[in-house]
Amino acid sequence: MNYGKAGKAILSLAVAGILGMPGAGAAQGDTITIGMLSAFTGPFASFGQLQKEGAILALEQHDFKAAGKTIKMIYADDQLDNELAVTKAKQLVEQDKVDIITGLVSGDEGLSVGAYMKGKQIPVVPMYSASEDMTMREWYPFIVRPTWTGAQPMDVFGYWLAKEKGYKKIYMIGEDYSYPYNQAGGFKRGFMRGGGDEVKTVWHPVPTSDYSSLIASIPLDQGYDAVLYNGAGSDAVAFVKQYVEFGMHKKLPLLGQSNTFERPDLDAMPSDIAGSYSAHLTADDMDTPHWNAFRDAFQKRWGYAPTAASEFAYGSMLLILRAIEARKGDVDDKEALVKAMHEVDMSDEPRGPIKLDQFNAAIENVYIREVAAGKDGAMYNKGIFTVKGVSQFGPYDSKLYMSQPADGRDSPPDSRARMPETILKVDKDYAFVPFGQ
Amino acid sequence: MNAPAPRSPGAPGRWPGRILAAVVVLALAALPVYGDPYTLTTFIRAIYFGFVALSVALLLGQGGMISLAQTVFFGMAGYVIGLLGVERGFAFPIPEIAGLALVLLTAFLFALVLMRTHGLVFLMLTLALGQICWSFARQNTSLLHGWAGIRGIHPPAIPGLDLARHADFYWFSLALFGLALLAVWRLIESPFGLAINGIRENARRMSALGYPVFWQRVILFMIAAMLAGVGGILAAWSTGIVTPSTLHLNRMIWILLIVILGGARHFWGPVLGTVIAVWLDVAISQMTPRYITVIGVIFVLVILIAPNGILGVWSTWSARRKAARAQAETPQVQAPSQSFPTTSTSPSHQGHTRRKP
Repeated sequence: MNYGKAGKAILSLAVAGILGMPGAGAAQGDTITIGMLSAFTGPFASFGQLQKEGAILALEQHDFKAAGKTIKMIYADDQLDNELAVTKAKQLVEQDKVDIITGLVSGDEGLSVGAYMKGKQIPVVPMYSASEDMTMREWYPFIVRPTWTGAQPMDVFGYWLAKEKGYKKIYMIGEDYSYPYNQAGGFKRGFMRGGGDEVKTVWHPVPTSDYSSLIASIPLDQGYDAVLYNGAGSDAVAFVKQYVEFGMHKKLPLLGQSNTFERPDLDAMPSDIAGSYSAHLTADDMDTPHWNAFRDAFQKRWGYAPTAASEFAYGSMLLILRAIEARKGDVDDKEALVKAMHEVDMSDEPRGPIKLDQFNAAIENVYIREVAAGKDGAMYNKGIFTVKGVSQFGPYDSKLYMSQPADGRDSPPDSRARMPETILKVDKDYAFVPFGQ
Repeated sequence: MNAPAPRSPGAPGRWPGRILAAVVVLALAALPVYGDPYTLTTFIRAIYFGFVALSVALLLGQGGMISLAQTVFFGMAGYVIGLLGVERGFAFPIPEIAGLALVLLTAFLFALVLMRTHGLVFLMLTLALGQICWSFARQNTSLLHGWAGIRGIHPPAIPGLDLARHADFYWFSLALFGLALLAVWRLIESPFGLAINGIRENARRMSALGYPVFWQRVILFMIAAMLAGVGGILAAWSTGIVTPSTLHLNRMIWILLIVILGGARHFWGPVLGTVIAVWLDVAISQMTPRYITVIGVIFVLVILIAPNGILGVWSTWSARRKAARAQAETPQVQAPSQSFPTTSTSPSHQGHTRRKP
């Protein structure tokens, strides 16, 4: 009987496993299934959560319906592990038979899932994942990204610092992975083109909690105009705190990448950094009817003000719902669905009107912001300038841009002297409109 | 050696057992016919983690060594495939062979250091080596691309097999796993396997008897690494990506737990443990976003209630029943003909190994 028992155990387990599989959540009849794959746990859990809340708000406003069909959401957590992200994407595609995949917080996560989804004929709508290659060198027609790339706001930021603030040399300390590379790449191109000379870059592994040696090695006698911290989340909180503890903010002003000073992390930072600049696609004090309506609805639903991550998710979900409506609920023809996504009118997007370019990437407003203290003492990102209609290629021609090597640790180069002439000679000014006009 | 069917090491093959074995094998082989694609994907996942579990169980159950470095070999094979196959464009089987060769070489070098130690020191050294390799993969951006890892790995074209097809990939993995199980079972039954058991129980005595203890442990470590490496190749083909998290300590501990969950000293322990853990992961993650906590609690409970794993509970229970039956009938001495100390483990035997984690 011995092995009878063991065999039975294994067999019944196998059978239970097979029978226990919910056969299909396929889009039969009146249901459209959307898979949201994101990092709801792990280092970027706060971004994942904000994203989910933004998406849910949009769905609730539509009563989880589009064109009369019920939207069924399936949430999958990848713990910010790229390999797990692929495994979970398989689950969404093969088991849940989703019609659309959305979510995606980090850059590498987006690229990994994008690579797996290639050839699956299912629309992928990344919400916060900003690696530019997803809508450039590794793009395929089923990727629709109504949000951003890492370089998009940073090219504007770098150009503004060099041209308008007259900065010549920047010391950048960044997290060592693809999204900060892309942010650094955009920053360097814009900064050099605007007349800057050098962006010295130093990389540290993610996550790092002790920055004392990195901060201590910032040279004070080499004429750097500012330090740019190119990191986010818990790393940014730790870095900024230690930067202030060392008293460095009195010697060299601190700048941030797009996410460095995002709330809720900003709440944990010392108020000494007020006045620090950054650039993003939202600003906390935007005052347009669309933004105010969104902010109030979000505040009412979740009890706190929205951030860029929640706005991106809200807007992406709106775009999905509108595309389904435009297709009158027919999601079987995925090519037509993607085409509908491309054509949807998003001029009422809360953060400002967006249009999609030939790679389904957003053309939108970039905001230069400054950390400021509000009336209640809480810090927020105060908009100071708006640049309208910035594409993922910035001022560059798309062919020229994509002929450059992908942004990495050492590319583009740190100094103006080694920057490709073709990039530097692009002579196109951004129009810096005072914020709110 | 006149061995019974490989399903039943440790127990005389009986007809009900054999029939069940045949049914299980048939059910698994025919899975692509009646299972949906995700069931296949999940079984493929169970198989490649099963290789690592087998590797851990071989070291732990047979050699009495807890290694926290097995995922290094798992990830290393994947990285080599990515580096040579995706980035340098070498065709199958060059990257795969190179991957396994590097795994064997690394395991040999590691073992030269590791096998001078036993017990806790061994555990700590494997932890250190594992962490060094993980940190290297995470921080080396020029070759291994740091956090991002290597993407775009595809299963190769093998004549007669279309591994891009789910069913073919599954059959290929299943056959490979079956071969690995057979090989491990033959290994355990062999004089080498007996010597390894002896070393686990008392290395000094084995040494005094003239066994080359050091080299036998080195060879065992290399075989175990090889198993993990094969699993790593399947994993890289299946997921298409290899990242530092492939060889992270978290995953290593997860695999160690599933081996203990199934029963490290039992031949089928790692297999059972992996199948259960992979399915738990799938089933519970669909129910609650707190699934990691739930699975953690289940692990803790199993280890508290059944420190010898699920098969441990079962074998204690069946041994007790057998003893009761034997008492009822004529007293009979059971010949300890099988080396495998599973079903016939006496209490003193188990106590001895538990003292030596």
